[in-house]
Amino acid sequence: MMRFLIISSLFVFFISCKTYEITNATKIESSKKNFQNLYFSDSEKDYVYKANIEVYGKQLGGIFVAKKMNDTLHRAVLTTDFGNTLLDFEVSENSFKVNYSVDELNKKIVLNTLKDDFRLVFRQNHKVEEVFENQLHTIYKVNDGKRFNYLSENKSEQKLIQLIHASKTKEKVVIQFEGKNTTFAEKINIEHKNIKLKIELNQISN
Amino acid sequence: MKIRILLFVLCMNFSVFAQEQKMSAAEISTFKTSVEKETKTIKSLKTDFIQYKHLSFLSKDIETSGKMYFKSPSLLNWQYTNPYQYSIIFKNNKVYINDQGKKSSINAGNSKMFEKINKLIVGSVSGNLFDDEEFSIEYFKNKEFYITKLTPKTATIKKYIKLVELYFPIGESTVSQVRLIEPSNDFTKIVFKNKQLNAKIDDAVFNH
Repeated sequence: MMRFLIISSLFVFFISCKTYEITNATKIESSKKNFQNLYFSDSEKDYVYKANIEVYGKQLGGIFVAKKMNDTLHRAVLTTDFGNTLLDFEVSENSFKVNYSVDELNKKIVLNTLKDDFRLVFRQNHKVEEVFENQLHTIYKVNDGKRFNYLSENKSEQKLIQLIHASKTKEKVVIQFEGKNTTFAEKINIEHKNIKLKIELNQISN
Repeated sequence: MKIRILLFVLCMNFSVFAQEQKMSAAEISTFKTSVEKETKTIKSLKTDFIQYKHLSFLSKDIETSGKMYFKSPSLLNWQYTNPYQYSIIFKNNKVYINDQGKKSSINAGNSKMFEKINKLIVGSVSGNLFDDEEFSIEYFKNKEFYITKLTPKTATIKKYIKLVELYFPIGESTVSQVRLIEPSNDFTKIVFKNKQLNAKIDDAVFNH
């Protein structure tokens, strides 16, 4: 009995410590050193979305807008449907500034989560370390500090459809994009795996 | 030279046109009486609206539009229909939200905030916010409008709203345009169109 317990707990331990891998994909040789996400790359454009946020069972709806301010910086605002600003922030690779926040969102954990999420969503250049493929997708593995990003591009249209942010062992955040074309995502889903948070963005034709 | 004079005169006219003057005490009194009198006769109100959210860093305002229904004393449906469906209904001390088919409700029975929102929305359309203890009011006019400017008194509201401006077309006693100006000077402008006072509104409009 004891032996069974030890073996099974070791088994569970090894399963949970298993290195994170993309399923059903094989490593391929590729000369591609840089992957570009162009979904928020046009500084002339206002990116306007209807936002639905689900956090620990609570729903929050509103409007999300983003704009590329210069080569490195994006500004984003979340408002209620009535237009009241809830949050206004600027994010780049190495900076984060909150211009305005209502008290309810002005908490370190909330702001840090949104900073990390939107830094991933807005990031244009990803330095490719390894390339994988399956039947439908090419997957680019990119180092991100101690973690990794896996960017999946569909082979048929070369559109970025998914970004998985993972630690060595687990998926942390899964971001899905539905691209109208390679430069505009009409739908974006951000789903956290370790906290109950989902952010859904649907383009508003404005 | 003639052209330059003409341009100068035109510019003068525009600046006069846009200029706001403070209303005199007598004008304020007449104006308030007429709005209060009109509000008392309002049993129902329905109107279309267009909402413009202005953020200084965007190249154009975000435009949403819909319909608003009010039935005295406290039924209210504020409904966006374009570019997405979203409605918020105030009924029997409850607030019902339908966000693109996702329905939820909040019990507002003990929530002073919702009571205030209800009063603010209805007051913003009818214009009767004169007695509201939340705001201090200043009165202006230009060639087209009487304008009341409401500055929040309490710190709680000041955090969200710097100023509310209500535009009454001269000769009318209800509001045609509202501006909610935020502390950052970004604002939401709501323009009412096809307003109908005391038209018949089916109760089903307020069903969730």
